Amino acid sequence: MAQAADSSPVLRRSTRPEAAAPKEPRIGFEGKMMVPGLILLAALSIVPFLALIAMSFSRVRLLGGVRLEPVGLGNWVRFFTDPDMWMSWLRTLIYFVLTVGLEMALGLGIALCLYRVLRARNILLSLVLLPMFAAPVIVGLLGRYLTDSTFGLYSWMLRSLGFSGDILGSPVGAFTAVVLMDVWEWTPLIALITLAGLSGVPQSVREAAAVDGAPGWMTLRYIVFPAISNVLLVALLIRSMDAIRYFDIIWVTTNGGPADATKIVPIRLYETAFRFFDFGYAAAIGLAMLAFSIFIARTFVRLLDTRGLTR
Amino acid sequence: MSASTTPRSPAGQAARRDGRVIVAAPPGVPQSPLEDSSRRTRWTVAILLTVALLWTLVPLLWMLLSSFKNRTDVTAATPQVLFAPTLDNYRNLFTGSNNLGPYIWHSVLAAGISAVLAVCLGALAGYGLARTRMHGKKHLAFWIISTRMAPIAAIVVPLFLIFRGLGLIDSIPGLVLAYLTFNLPFAIWLMSAFFAEVPPSLEESALVAGCTRWQAFRTVILPLTKSGLVTTFVLCLVFAWNDYAFAVVFSGPNSQTLPIAASQLVTQTGIDWGQLTAIGTIVVVPMMLAGLAVRRWLVTGLTLGAVTGE
Repeated sequence: MAQAADSSPVLRRSTRPEAAAPKEPRIGFEGKMMVPGLILLAALSIVPFLALIAMSFSRVRLLGGVRLEPVGLGNWVRFFTDPDMWMSWLRTLIYFVLTVGLEMALGLGIALCLYRVLRARNILLSLVLLPMFAAPVIVGLLGRYLTDSTFGLYSWMLRSLGFSGDILGSPVGAFTAVVLMDVWEWTPLIALITLAGLSGVPQSVREAAAVDGAPGWMTLRYIVFPAISNVLLVALLIRSMDAIRYFDIIWVTTNGGPADATKIVPIRLYETAFRFFDFGYAAAIGLAMLAFSIFIARTFVRLLDTRGLTR
Repeated sequence: MSASTTPRSPAGQAARRDGRVIVAAPPGVPQSPLEDSSRRTRWTVAILLTVALLWTLVPLLWMLLSSFKNRTDVTAATPQVLFAPTLDNYRNLFTGSNNLGPYIWHSVLAAGISAVLAVCLGALAGYGLARTRMHGKKHLAFWIISTRMAPIAAIVVPLFLIFRGLGLIDSIPGLVLAYLTFNLPFAIWLMSAFFAEVPPSLEESALVAGCTRWQAFRTVILPLTKSGLVTTFVLCLVFAWNDYAFAVVFSGPNSQTLPIAASQLVTQTGIDWGQLTAIGTIVVVPMMLAGLAVRRWLVTGLTLGAVTGE
């Protein structure tokens, strides 16, 4: 931390070889560089945030221009007393734990396998990464195609194995399907990050363990995992953030159905706003989601901080 | 801290940070872990990877194949692997009532402009963020990243009302702004991660040589982060191009994008799966190519610089 309080522009040019950017009293060059971006970001985030708060205490009328009629705590009372809402949160939690858990496990597995491959690793990695760049809508629609009960490739495979029935038509089947679609799209991300972490484990440590006669699983447990724990943590948190954010796949495959089986909170919010046009209630749900995601983001930054991963 | 950074090249062939050394092995040099010498392990790895590749690639290949099938082959009860390929699906997408041309144009415009703006503003602000020593820098950084992590559904609702008030619904500028809500914070964090890799001594020398801060930034620092700029651009492009949640709310006949076109093929009367797989291919393939082109920097990009990889 630089302690100097003031420095003239002239001085700033020539002295202080050790300081990256000399500290300025108020808004220095760095500050000026940040201004345009931050103003736009503030307009795009603080204004909607305030609007969200105002809306959550009002009834929003759309006809003849947007009007807010204050209704006090009405939306919030509804939010906390709606049993469907609690079910949605529970479902969101299960969905979240399943997708992120499976992605972490499979991603780690794929990364460990790829790490053992010496030739063609880059090509294999590229192939594994492909789903990550696919638009979630397409992933969802493709999922519908593959699981269609009459001509879907995957339902045909399942039929040959003895399972029949409409996958997206049954609650458990639909929930499993949307989880697996998300896992299909995002496991590559975990694999990519983990592989980078594995490549950072010093070779000498692993060799020493092998020379000492440690079996593979022990090396993994006591050498590799501790060494990549930071990277795994980052992967977990990055994926958690996005798992909370997105909902496109469910929206285009099951739309929350059948019988609410896949109605996670974002779907309910979307439906409340753009199907029932109840923007006030939607705003209350949105604020709750926002609070939840900020809580996770805080954890994220704090963890990275204590482990010295932020700059 | 960055004072001890001495990267051999800014792209980061070998980067030293917090004492962790991450070295990319030169191509062709085996970095074999000793314990994988056993034949059984090798077979297990091969089998597991084959399964992983099948799991990953079968849906994509099936989409590609189906896009060249005619109507009966697409919806055949037994999956057709051998069939007479046809370009009808693609041809139908560009002729007739629902011509895909405008959708592609809207997608290119909205995603492209938003990515360019995000990179420009993100580079400026990211540089400022990387170099500033102001009080409360951490809080500022947290605020920036928290806007990126906010749930899409929670942003869309108030933004919809604001855009309605401003007349931005069904316009490309509206979509560009909507996409900036996630691309701008992402670009700022990512660029600041790339700028942090550049040793501050380079600016110092430039300043000693008589440059202004701006000249030093423009002529010395910015060229060194070219890979960061390209990676940021590509990732912002992918995020915006793939967006559906914003586009479905904010766009109308004059601004509908490709993902909307795809979802519109789903109608009450049924889905033309041949056309749908063709659109899917058109949407997905360019972004896959773009993503793979920046693969070297993807780890830095997708972890916002928290992990420096190969």
